Amino acid sequence: MKQLLLSISLMFFGFTLVHGQRTISGKVTDTSGDGLIGANVIAKEVAGLGTITDVDGNYVLKISNDVKTLLISYTGYESQEISISSSNTLNVTLSEGKLLEEVVVVGYGTQIKSQLTGNIAKVSGDAIQNAPVPSIQEALQGRAAGVFIESSNGKTGGANRMRIRGSSSISASNQPLFVVDGIPLSTESLNSTGAALNPLSDINSNDIESVEILKDASAGAIYGSRAANGVVLITTKKGKEGISKINFNLQTGFSSPTNKREFMNSDEFIEYFRHAAANSDVLEGDTFWAGFVEGRFDRYSGPAGDLDDNGIFKWVDQPVNTNWQDQAFRTGRSLLADISAQGGTDKLKYYASGAVNRTEGMLVSNGFERISSRLNLDSKVNSWIDVGLNFSLARTIIEQVAADNAFSTPLQLVALSPITPVRDEDGNLYNTPVTTYYNGLIDTEDAQRKITNFRSITNGYINFKLSEGLNWRSELGYDLYNLKENAFYGSKTEVGLPFNGFGLANYGQTQNLNTKSYLSYVTDFSELGLNATAGIEYQKTDVDNALVEARMFPTDDLKTLASAAEVATGTSSFTEFSFLSYFSRLNFDYQNKYLLTLSGRVDGSSRFGENKRYGFFPAVSVGYVLSEEDFMKDSKVFSFLKVRASYGTTGNAGIGNFQHLGLYGSGSYNNQPGLRPTQIPNPDLGWEVTTQLDLGFDFGILKDRINGEIDYYVKNTSDLLLDVPVPGTSGFTTQTQNIGAVTNKGVELVLNSTNLTGDFKWSTSFNIAYNKNEVTSLGDQQLIDGGSSRFMNVVQVGQPLGVFYGAEYAGVDTQNGDALWYINDPELNDADTTTNDFSAANFVVLGNPTPEIIGGLTNTFGYKGFDLSFTFQGVAGNDIHLAGDSFMACNGCWFDNQTRDQLKSWRNPGDVTNVPQARLGYSNGDQARSSRYLSDGSYLRLRSLTFGYDFPKSLIKKRGLDKLRLYVQGQNLLTFTKYIGWDPEVSTDFAVDNVISGVDFYSAPQPKTITFGLNVGF
Amino acid sequence: MKNKILIYLFSFSTIGLFHSCADNLGLEPAQSISENIVLDTDRNVKNVLNGAYSVLQRGAIYGGEIIRNGELLAGDGEILFVGTFGGPRQIFNKQMIAENEDVRRQWTDSYNAINVVNNVLTAIPVVNEDDRDRVEGEALFIRGMVYFDLVRYYAKTYESGQSNTQPGVPLVLTPTRGIDASNSLSRNSVEEVYTQVLADLTRAVSLLPATNGISATSGAANALLARVYLQKGDFAKARDAANTVIESGEYILKNDYASVFNADVAGSEDIFAIEFTSQDVAASTTEFWSIPQFGGRDGDIEILPGHLALYDADDERLALFFEGAAAIRSGKWNNQFGVVNLFRLAEMYLIRAETNLRLGTSIGATPLSDYNTIHTRAGLAAKNNISLVDIISEKRLELAHEGHKIHEHKRLKLDVGDLPYNDPKLIFPIPARELESNPNLTQNDGY
Repeated sequence: MKQLLLSISLMFFGFTLVHGQRTISGKVTDTSGDGLIGANVIAKEVAGLGTITDVDGNYVLKISNDVKTLLISYTGYESQEISISSSNTLNVTLSEGKLLEEVVVVGYGTQIKSQLTGNIAKVSGDAIQNAPVPSIQEALQGRAAGVFIESSNGKTGGANRMRIRGSSSISASNQPLFVVDGIPLSTESLNSTGAALNPLSDINSNDIESVEILKDASAGAIYGSRAANGVVLITTKKGKEGISKINFNLQTGFSSPTNKREFMNSDEFIEYFRHAAANSDVLEGDTFWAGFVEGRFDRYSGPAGDLDDNGIFKWVDQPVNTNWQDQAFRTGRSLLADISAQGGTDKLKYYASGAVNRTEGMLVSNGFERISSRLNLDSKVNSWIDVGLNFSLARTIIEQVAADNAFSTPLQLVALSPITPVRDEDGNLYNTPVTTYYNGLIDTEDAQRKITNFRSITNGYINFKLSEGLNWRSELGYDLYNLKENAFYGSKTEVGLPFNGFGLANYGQTQNLNTKSYLSYVTDFSELGLNATAGIEYQKTDVDNALVEARMFPTDDLKTLASAAEVATGTSSFTEFSFLSYFSRLNFDYQNKYLLTLSGRVDGSSRFGENKRYGFFPAVSVGYVLSEEDFMKDSKVFSFLKVRASYGTTGNAGIGNFQHLGLYGSGSYNNQPGLRPTQIPNPDLGWEVTTQLDLGFDFGILKDRINGEIDYYVKNTSDLLLDVPVPGTSGFTTQTQNIGAVTNKGVELVLNSTNLTGDFKWSTSFNIAYNKNEVTSLGDQQLIDGGSSRFMNVVQVGQPLGVFYGAEYAGVDTQNGDALWYINDPELNDADTTTNDFSAANFVVLGNPTPEIIGGLTNTFGYKGFDLSFTFQGVAGNDIHLAGDSFMACNGCWFDNQTRDQLKSWRNPGDVTNVPQARLGYSNGDQARSSRYLSDGSYLRLRSLTFGYDFPKSLIKKRGLDKLRLYVQGQNLLTFTKYIGWDPEVSTDFAVDNVISGVDFYSAPQPKTITFGLNVGF
Repeated sequence: MKNKILIYLFSFSTIGLFHSCADNLGLEPAQSISENIVLDTDRNVKNVLNGAYSVLQRGAIYGGEIIRNGELLAGDGEILFVGTFGGPRQIFNKQMIAENEDVRRQWTDSYNAINVVNNVLTAIPVVNEDDRDRVEGEALFIRGMVYFDLVRYYAKTYESGQSNTQPGVPLVLTPTRGIDASNSLSRNSVEEVYTQVLADLTRAVSLLPATNGISATSGAANALLARVYLQKGDFAKARDAANTVIESGEYILKNDYASVFNADVAGSEDIFAIEFTSQDVAASTTEFWSIPQFGGRDGDIEILPGHLALYDADDERLALFFEGAAAIRSGKWNNQFGVVNLFRLAEMYLIRAETNLRLGTSIGATPLSDYNTIHTRAGLAAKNNISLVDIISEKRLELAHEGHKIHEHKRLKLDVGDLPYNDPKLIFPIPARELESNPNLTQNDGY
């Protein structure tokens, strides 16, 4: 095989061979002596003359006597120019390239990292290869400074939140713009039920060459009105000139929850609720609750609620002790297999891959499957035209479990009583009234929820080389996303019960057409370097949906709507938006020392009012490479030092479509059509404006053994796209206006060091970021309170976005067991006065859901063929609202099984405890909007660990292999936290938005995953 | 040369392509139409009127929660709220906070309905002449009904014979076209709100036809007038309005009490009802009062023995209760795609009986006769003489769990549990979001 490929490659080069006077041969190796496959060996003096090394790093090149110098190059290594001596053997050792010479992808181009004046975090594809997670965001956690990524919960295939340098918007999107190979990714979630999906799960992370995260205004301004939340550029792998490599990877493993909570067993449950009932009777001077609680025990114990032969309730002498939490989980399993081929010639280069990821989640009936393929081609048509095509197709199937607030979500099983058996004698699952609430396990047997996504991202380009350094490039891209959602709820399920079965079929499609053309010009006037780009881009996105819901099925075995007797809903909808943009960037450098970048974009969008259709987003940045100065050149300490500053404006257009129009929407009644006002017009509606200042320096110390970056930034966002609460008496509740301001200020530090080289290698990469977020204006208002008894995130001027605002819990009255809150009367200075009347307590700011400090630490060790790498990731400074604990930790307010810590509730005068007296049927401290249900959300987590072994090449070569690697990986193996709930990485999926975050509501903990893998290259 | 031609061709076509894109920034939505064209035609104005009914149908108001809240607030000893939603739980426990989501939605949806009908009322000249009175009358009826319930829930109760200067709710009588400081209204007095309600309803009576499909009729406006006057303690006018409804002959009591409820469409006894079809979101009456088998949540409201003990054993109304999800349930709300009864003829008989008895008159019929009409329909033996208490008790049973309880307690100055009828805890708070967005609003006592 390799012989054949080598011959083919040589044939392509064949035409360059001239009848040579001599033959040079040799071997190209890396510093450890391993041969480099596919390195370029080029004759400097004769154009087109060259060859590439074979699998062992050997090359043979016939040259004429004119050739005096060979150029040896290999991607990622420092190139060498070697003069040919009299010897016909020339062995070359290439050393790995300096990190600062790295090339980074920027908007509409690439740039040498050492010449960057903006702030871009790059994560190379290697760092996230083979990560056993469904989407790349999870693999990026802890790897880029100032980039906060959080999964809503432990459900596989669910959405997550990504925040770059804090949140700047209250009502518009805070997600960054994702751009895949130049195409802005469609992120609309089209499923009709359940939590939002993650568009990035449609991308195979093993296809990714690099991820660049544009953080400051200089880097982002070229993306204009959509760059304020940062831009994530995802670049997929390209073909490489050289010998084809085939890489096969197989990985399998299992997962389990990171944590479980402790709930009462049946003895504790019975004792506790009898006690709670007795307390309520004492309050009322009655015996109602004593009888009531015994009746409930009979009911919840099912057949054990019957009398046995001795006339005793069976549940008394044959107690059941069900651990419902365990019923929510199973051992998750995953299988990942992928194969890729990469290679090409100077005329045609290719990268092709196919992959399968099949994950059975650790939650019952939660699954994820992705089958993906990719073909990236780059072709040189002639000396002045290049064309290429990136094509990918993925099918993602998600077996979604219900959102966190549904009785049928697996974790809500914990509410059921431990005295309730799971199944009856015939093996049927119990349901209400035997179970306290709907038994969600019924959904696992009698319901199906399957979402099938198809996504194809295709981008073709043509590049004309107009003259030396001047290029015209045109691209046409298409992100086509199809969703097919089928659900069936059988006659036993909560949804299907009243209808003899309920089913839905939902089809959605997003067509995102993107086209752009731009000119780029690169030149070097001796000491002045110029790199200019200017172009035009148009994007049009159409979103279609068609939904049918039907009910009355003859049997639970017939699940398609064809069998249903009644169609309940049949609807379709369509929406669209467009952007037309002009962009430009100019990079100047003088003596590689003084750097200047000007960039900007004019964006027009259908999303904005007619008075404000186009906006201009400019940025300027400067850099000064001190290490190029004579006085620094000989520095023993600094091998590289650059200071940089950037300032500019970006925008946020992340709102729904048509929010600037005054509208009437459908309001049908009694099967008659109707119309009703739905929106007040705002022709002045424009984008959010973020001006950002970034000051930073990049440094390399001790020949770049240690390098890093330090940045300070101030991000001021004004003209917020705020859904301003308007007086409800107007008939409307909100109007989207450009009002309000948010500031994010922070510091970021990145440190990379090569601690040990040689046989035993050790390198460390560390990043930490501090961000302070503050809402500085809300127009005329001081506070926006979503208004809920269950959640307490609000927006308040002078506070971080989404702070917890509620009553301050003051513990328990030691004399009577009443829950107490501080009155916190703003008029009086009485910090200590308490009340047992919840509605008399004034609400105050209780905590912040957003971490102020985030960071990650990766260590990589290598010794001979062994390697070990692990990443710790952590957040600090945030609190989590355990909203679900107002049911499961409410000192027996109702029959939800209680967490074991509720056993410490107040019992006798003088008891000092934080858990109020148990009172069945009463609210004694169960109000969710209270600091009683806040817990410190800081954590440090062993996010990933990889231990692998590469068999020596000498051993595997005989088997025709280039690489053979065995590895074991772990995700979330260790978590250090004071958080009392399941898992501190949480923002419940049914409610999470910009304001409501850091809320735990029966949210599944993250999975702890261990996988074993095999990697073969040939 | 060839190269140049190719490049010129390519760049011209590209520039042409982008140029045409610039027209694509003025997109219009597919599911909505602009407000400036909607009120221009007869057909559209009628569409907007129907849109007002669709707002009334929302769960937070006449789709069911207005009924539920009237019972939860005065449910002590008779019903038990065991659901997991915090909003109704706070209402039931009389521990409401101004952030309560149900209290908020009832307010915002009520005013939403008012804005819709205010739009209709400005466009009456566009309506075909033959339909103008009907369209205007329906809009006025809806506005009167919504304001009456707003003032009953969010303000101190109307004290008969006194000057009712206590803060009511803001009166908005014109459609909203934009948002500015003029939208930050302060509260009108309770008296002013009642005056507006009576003005709207009185005019509605004169405009509306006697029959009008399932939409509002003159009977509906009169039935509401009877209720408003009764709440005000204006017994003569309440009596006359109720009498007009009964004497109109448009409505007939059903023989079978149970058949009044859970019907798919309004029956002969219904004066005005909200109707649900299978195309609608289910009624929230069912959601809270019923059990999963019928589409209810989890059986959120249980009926306690304290309520059941009020009935005579032979009372057919007692038989309507049923056991489901291991507790006793009201049998009135088991059809989630059926009728939510808002005004029934039975209420008119009982209003006429009470007011005639209070006034010592026999307009239409004697109090005893009206009482027995209702009493015997429930399968009970006719009585020979009755007192005011009998009529009030009969009304409590006849209209049980139809949303009247808290308003009856307030009207009759009866305690609710330990709380006197005028306790601030029995009045909804003004929603926190309203106070935050409107500096001119004042909060109710106790919040």
